[in-house]
Amino acid sequence: MDFGFTDEQIARRKEFSDVCKDLAAKRPAEYVGFESAYDNEPSWEYYKLCAKEFGKRGWLTLDWPAEYGGSGTMMDRVLFSEARGYYGVGGVDVFGIGMLAPTLLAAASEEVKKKFLPPIAAGDVTWCELWSEPNAGSDLASLTATAIRKGDEYIMNGQKTWTTGAHRADWAFGVFKSDPEGRPHHNLVFLLFDMKTPGIEVRPIPFTNGTHIYNEVYLDDVHVPAENIVGQENEGWAIVNLLAGFERSNIDAIMALIRQLEDLVTYCNVTKRNGQPLSKDPLIRNRLAQTACELEAARTLAYRVADLQNRNEMSLMDASALKVFASELGERYASLATDVAGPYGQVKFSRWAPLNGLLEAMYHECFVFTISMGTNEIQKNIIAWYGLGLPRMR
Amino acid sequence: MDLTFNETQEILRKMARDFLITECPKSLVRELEDSEKGYSPELWKKMAELGWMGLIIPEEYDGMGYTFQDLTVLLEETGRNILPGPLVCTITSTFPILDAGTENQKKEFLPKVASGELILTTALLEAEGTFSASGIAVKATPKGEDFVINGTKLFVEMAHAADYIICVTRTKDGASPEDGITLFIVDAKASGISCEVIPTIAADKLCEVQFKNVLVPKKNMLGELDKGWPIIEKMLEKGAIAKCAESLGGMQAAVEMTIAYSKDRVQYGRPIGAFQALQHMMADLWTTMTTSRYLVYEAAWIESEGLPCAKEASMAKAYVNDAYKYVTRWSIRLHGGIGTSRDHDISLYYLRAKAADTAFGNTDLHRELVAQKIGLI
Repeated sequence: MDFGFTDEQIARRKEFSDVCKDLAAKRPAEYVGFESAYDNEPSWEYYKLCAKEFGKRGWLTLDWPAEYGGSGTMMDRVLFSEARGYYGVGGVDVFGIGMLAPTLLAAASEEVKKKFLPPIAAGDVTWCELWSEPNAGSDLASLTATAIRKGDEYIMNGQKTWTTGAHRADWAFGVFKSDPEGRPHHNLVFLLFDMKTPGIEVRPIPFTNGTHIYNEVYLDDVHVPAENIVGQENEGWAIVNLLAGFERSNIDAIMALIRQLEDLVTYCNVTKRNGQPLSKDPLIRNRLAQTACELEAARTLAYRVADLQNRNEMSLMDASALKVFASELGERYASLATDVAGPYGQVKFSRWAPLNGLLEAMYHECFVFTISMGTNEIQKNIIAWYGLGLPRMR
Repeated sequence: MDLTFNETQEILRKMARDFLITECPKSLVRELEDSEKGYSPELWKKMAELGWMGLIIPEEYDGMGYTFQDLTVLLEETGRNILPGPLVCTITSTFPILDAGTENQKKEFLPKVASGELILTTALLEAEGTFSASGIAVKATPKGEDFVINGTKLFVEMAHAADYIICVTRTKDGASPEDGITLFIVDAKASGISCEVIPTIAADKLCEVQFKNVLVPKKNMLGELDKGWPIIEKMLEKGAIAKCAESLGGMQAAVEMTIAYSKDRVQYGRPIGAFQALQHMMADLWTTMTTSRYLVYEAAWIESEGLPCAKEASMAKAYVNDAYKYVTRWSIRLHGGIGTSRDHDISLYYLRAKAADTAFGNTDLHRELVAQKIGLI
């Protein structure tokens, strides 16, 4: 058992850190928290700047096969992810880089790969994921939006929702019913399409803090070239399952929390209440220390998941356990951080806000991690059914 | 990075698991709880033959020369099987000898520990029950070629069966509580020592040890006069990780037992493990165990590499203390009524979770150490 890195990896990590640190210095004040990139213009411009920089360096494709521009290993990708998370730098499209690219590499035709992978690698395009519907959340297979084959096109109709960044994205991938009368799990199609295609309407859904992250997307006779399919018609469910396996180590979110705790420690050291720094309060010390322990537990489990993936030995239950633990830790952290700041814990980004409003922002954003990418309750089902061998729900 | 056990560790683990299943059934565990001795000399001898007490003692002192990480692999198995007796207190008491002993002391004690001839323990806590140096009042005063020890130590594991006690004494009222602490290797059968077993939750034979004018030769001073505290800090750090490894094994056993029971026990016409309320609880227990696992493995690796490890050791102990109690408490809940019976194995684990939590520092102590290490002033 060895938690160490090679000299080469240590050098690589320093390179990642140096660049991310420089980029962090350019971050606009409006960029508060993970998801605000989508919300306002300065943040979005910054996000694209980071994406271009990473694309230029080949860091968006570290673990890709060399023929498609890969220039490193799975562990390099983990190290890059750590640096990015720690310095709070955007620019890696969770949908395009995190989910779609590995899916295309595993399942798409050569034509589709050649057409779509290079712009993703360069950081030139942003993707969104047309997944949930008003009546199909965790039970995704019950979706009703359709994409019906007509000649060499698919015609899409219906409504998708909770679409992160649909108002920013250039392209979308989504899953639709291709055979409304077909048997379950063999009636879906996975398609790629330009968000500027006529018939697509994007309407904002305000987040709890009013920011614009999520959207409803209405599709009204949207024509998509049939060549933009991934996998087979009516067999899109296989692609859905494949894609769900790629979004697992969470190390960037964990490193972001580790950094936030460091900043909170500093805040407690310099902020006085009742005649002494907050850091002298035994209750605050105890709670911060507990969080530090939990963060280290999450970090080491993320290494476990990464180590398994690095050896092509994906463990569903480890990845699900990590997702549940780290995301709930995020919720607890948000509660702790806003408690510690007293009345300032409720202050939005403004001159009164401690730590640039990040504490208040976390109080909202923590839900992103517990609810999205398979709710924690679904993850617990996965652990129980596929990991512990308990009987499936009937 | 490679987070799998190496071949030596896999062999060690399998051997230990198989050995303990045969040699240490739960009937023996209960019998030893009720016994005065608290351990089986017969089993102790067999363990010595496997080289367990000398696992990390270097080969030049007749040990096996394994790494600290290897030791935690073994302890995960002894914890899984809740092995009673003086294995952990003997091994952790060799840490200060390995770290601070003179060549003569190493030659005198370590080979006999490795052979199973000597049982060791460490007398640290006193009436206040604190793990910090401020709690040390037992005095050692020089007298000719000896020191004279007076006072009372508490919660000294297996002292009634020990051959030697590493006694943490105050030799000076220094500028700070840490200044003026001296360690002695004391013959447990020396005149003036009396010992009484305290009834504790896991019947693990924690003793009150009274020292009345106990003479200990100067040559048995471990480390330097007045400068013994850092040796104890290091011992607590390694001991905390060792205890975590045991607890991890205990959690693994409790989780496995609970899942198996839930597949077997039928209510409302189906196994209770089919109910989602219980499934999510069991997923939670598995997650709690798994988050503990890599935290412990990381600390063991850092310690094994000889790198500074105080922060990670405290993080692991603080986290695992709560985790083991949580996992075993819910394991009993998931078993229902039968889980509360002393006759059911799961209850044995619940008791040991509390004992493990206290050993080498409880959660609040280690959280405070973590608070210092993460930079809270």
